[in-house]
Amino acid sequence: MNKKLLGFIPFLIFIFLCVFLYQGLFGNPRELQTGRIGQTMPSFVLPDLMDGSKQWRDTDLKGDVYLLNVWGTWCPTCIAELGYLTELRERGVRIIGLYYEQAYDPDFGDEFDINALRNEVQNMLDRAGNPYQFNILDLDRTLALDLGVSGAPETFLVDANGTILLHHTGDINPRVWRAKFAPVMQELSE
Amino acid sequence: MIPEIGYFSLVLAMGLSLLLCIFPLWGAYTGNLRLMRAAPSLAVGQCLFVLFSFAILIYVTLTDDFTVAYVAHHSSTTLPWYYKVTSTWGGHEGAILLWLVMQSSWTALVALMSNSLPWVLRARVLGVLGFLGVGFMLYTLWMSSPFERLLPYYPVEGRDLNPLLQDPGMIIHPPLLYMGYVGLSVSFAFAIAALLTGKLDNTWAKWSRPWTMVAWGFLTLGITIGSWWAYAELGWGGWWFWDPVENASLMPWLVATALLHSLAVTEKRGVFKSWTVLLAITAFSLCLLGTFIVRSGIIVSVHAFATDPDRGLYILSFLGVVVGGSLALYAMRVSEVYSEGRYRFASREVTLWANNIFLVVATLIVLLGTLLPMIHKELGLGTISIGVPFFNQMFSILVVPFALLLGIAPMMRWKQNQLPPMVKKWGGMLVLALALTALWLLPNYEYVAPMTFIATALAVWITLGTLLDVFEKASAQDSFAHGLKRLGLSYWAMVLGHIGIAFVIASVTLTSAYSVERSVSMKPGDVAQLNEYSYRFDGVKEIRGPNYSGHAGVVTVLKDDKFIVELYAEKRLYDIGMQFMTEAAIDDGFFRDLYLALGEQLSEGAWSLRIYHKPYVRWMWLGGILISLAGFMVVADKRYRRRKVKGAVA
Repeated sequence: MNKKLLGFIPFLIFIFLCVFLYQGLFGNPRELQTGRIGQTMPSFVLPDLMDGSKQWRDTDLKGDVYLLNVWGTWCPTCIAELGYLTELRERGVRIIGLYYEQAYDPDFGDEFDINALRNEVQNMLDRAGNPYQFNILDLDRTLALDLGVSGAPETFLVDANGTILLHHTGDINPRVWRAKFAPVMQELSE
Repeated sequence: MIPEIGYFSLVLAMGLSLLLCIFPLWGAYTGNLRLMRAAPSLAVGQCLFVLFSFAILIYVTLTDDFTVAYVAHHSSTTLPWYYKVTSTWGGHEGAILLWLVMQSSWTALVALMSNSLPWVLRARVLGVLGFLGVGFMLYTLWMSSPFERLLPYYPVEGRDLNPLLQDPGMIIHPPLLYMGYVGLSVSFAFAIAALLTGKLDNTWAKWSRPWTMVAWGFLTLGITIGSWWAYAELGWGGWWFWDPVENASLMPWLVATALLHSLAVTEKRGVFKSWTVLLAITAFSLCLLGTFIVRSGIIVSVHAFATDPDRGLYILSFLGVVVGGSLALYAMRVSEVYSEGRYRFASREVTLWANNIFLVVATLIVLLGTLLPMIHKELGLGTISIGVPFFNQMFSILVVPFALLLGIAPMMRWKQNQLPPMVKKWGGMLVLALALTALWLLPNYEYVAPMTFIATALAVWITLGTLLDVFEKASAQDSFAHGLKRLGLSYWAMVLGHIGIAFVIASVTLTSAYSVERSVSMKPGDVAQLNEYSYRFDGVKEIRGPNYSGHAGVVTVLKDDKFIVELYAEKRLYDIGMQFMTEAAIDDGFFRDLYLALGEQLSEGAWSLRIYHKPYVRWMWLGGILISLAGFMVVADKRYRRRKVKGAVA
């Protein structure tokens, strides 16, 4: 190959790269982690976070559109989004919390102090706002696992029949809400 | 009114940039000297207007003008004044304005200091810089102005600066990094001007070299401080994460390192010309690509920057024009370039060529690791994630030949060397390096993994090789002291830079191999043991800062029952954002850091704590500082000063 053609190689590589960069710009990299859209909510029986005598089942959630927000007091981004979620609740959005405990691992014989956790959660919600109708405690992370949760915060939008319509990784803020959730909510209410 | 003046000032600056782009380039094309002569004043003029606009942003931040959206989102009344100043580049819009400040200042500096260049080249360099200025200013004015108003409804209290950014490291990290990025645009402009002129002789390399060195020095310092900030502020005890945002600054650094070695060859020997030009274009292109990656949201990163497809599309288009255009120009011109010098296999040319290959391969690894997950997805092959192990493994493979080469490269002469005597010398050096490493590691550690031993020996090898070369060069003169004196600053810069690399290699190796950590739950009075230190937990204190409150865990560190230090590991809750921040307590030392992070409050007065013992971790930043010093020292070299004086006379 002569020198003239060789000189064009960097240019061609660059063009090739640009095509992908352009495509990547319009594909949301956060969405690719989601394999649960269109599936129904997995079945579960789990206790209430604040009231241990109470149990929640997947069938209890049906009948209304709701957001399932995976969160924990250990997660700074979760705390950051509490304010805006509370605003959403005041506007009539039904939000159910799935409490994701990070520190506790039963396989290592960790001790777990439910009362300390309840205090902590109560303090946090008093200070930063409480958007939740109630919170489900998923101590063994079975439901989180079924839902494909990889961290917190993550939020699922579920319709009245229990079908998952959206799975959002990261915090919910006005922009995310406008761009991602609001159009779907709009469609549901029509 | 005042923010509008800031905006208007930027509009004027952009007008001048536009002229700076058109007049000199047109003048150089048509041979009109009057048009070319306009370039320096236009360059200085646009710089003054940008500086004025930046001063206004600082002013509105300091006066808590929350009608300005940027100020409302990134500052608050309770924020200390110095963090208010920092907040002007803590968010996307302000950061881009800071970029403009740097860009226009570099342009003005080039304009003022290039009076010994021929007018055609000078005009083209400034014209290209003007073009880049227009691109960034248009972007600021059009889609990310920091002077947007929040009227008629505006908050009485701002949203505060992200607590992660409220740290001294964050005050200087972005400006340093931008200094580096933008400085590389000068090397880029010189390369493009040389291609346009069609004269790729070593004048171009000589001119470009000091600018590249300084830019690279800033980039090195910026990356070093960034890593130190991650270590001190994020509370996880780590210093590098291979995050896309970190990679975005590492790639231009690797290529710029290759560039300045290649520039040396082009300047001194007149070879590698087209390769050097390509590196200059690539280094700046990677800066733009990094900006694109960070600001477009194309790749998921732990760092949250403004992510907006419109902005991403703009940067991508700009990237396309600038990089695509220059690579096309390169392709058209490269066939006219001929190398003059000749050399043999055992020569400095070849060792520097090998150095370039290693650095470029390292860049490709980072680039692939960063972009492959995205490309994979776009090809419909599903999600993959390339993590820390991939990069670590690739780099540990690459570092072995690279470091071996680095230890011997300074001794190589231009054109050709007699190999047999050198090989003998290297053999001796190798034995000495292995022996010193054994003396260093074996008495101190119970178990030394083979890879740890090799990597440490490589660091020793580089140091030995560099020192031996200093010794030989100095002894070649009539007296040793006189010989030391005669070695130029450029030479000492090389020595510092290479020893800096040795420090970084040793630090990364030993810290990774011998760091230990413990997570403990402690009540007041409890003692935890880690290595030879015992940590006594003395309870927590309430703390209150200007815009946060929280707890500080008080820990007394003892060694053989002797008091070492009292540490305060803080957990802060920032008032406005309600964000928790871990402020690690660090007792730093030349040989080890004791690092402490306060976790959650457990029941009955017990707290969880994480204790780290990190040997030699500080050497990493020490090495980084040495390397960046190398970049700054070259400017003071007589070679460049003398030429400037001569130029001023002519």
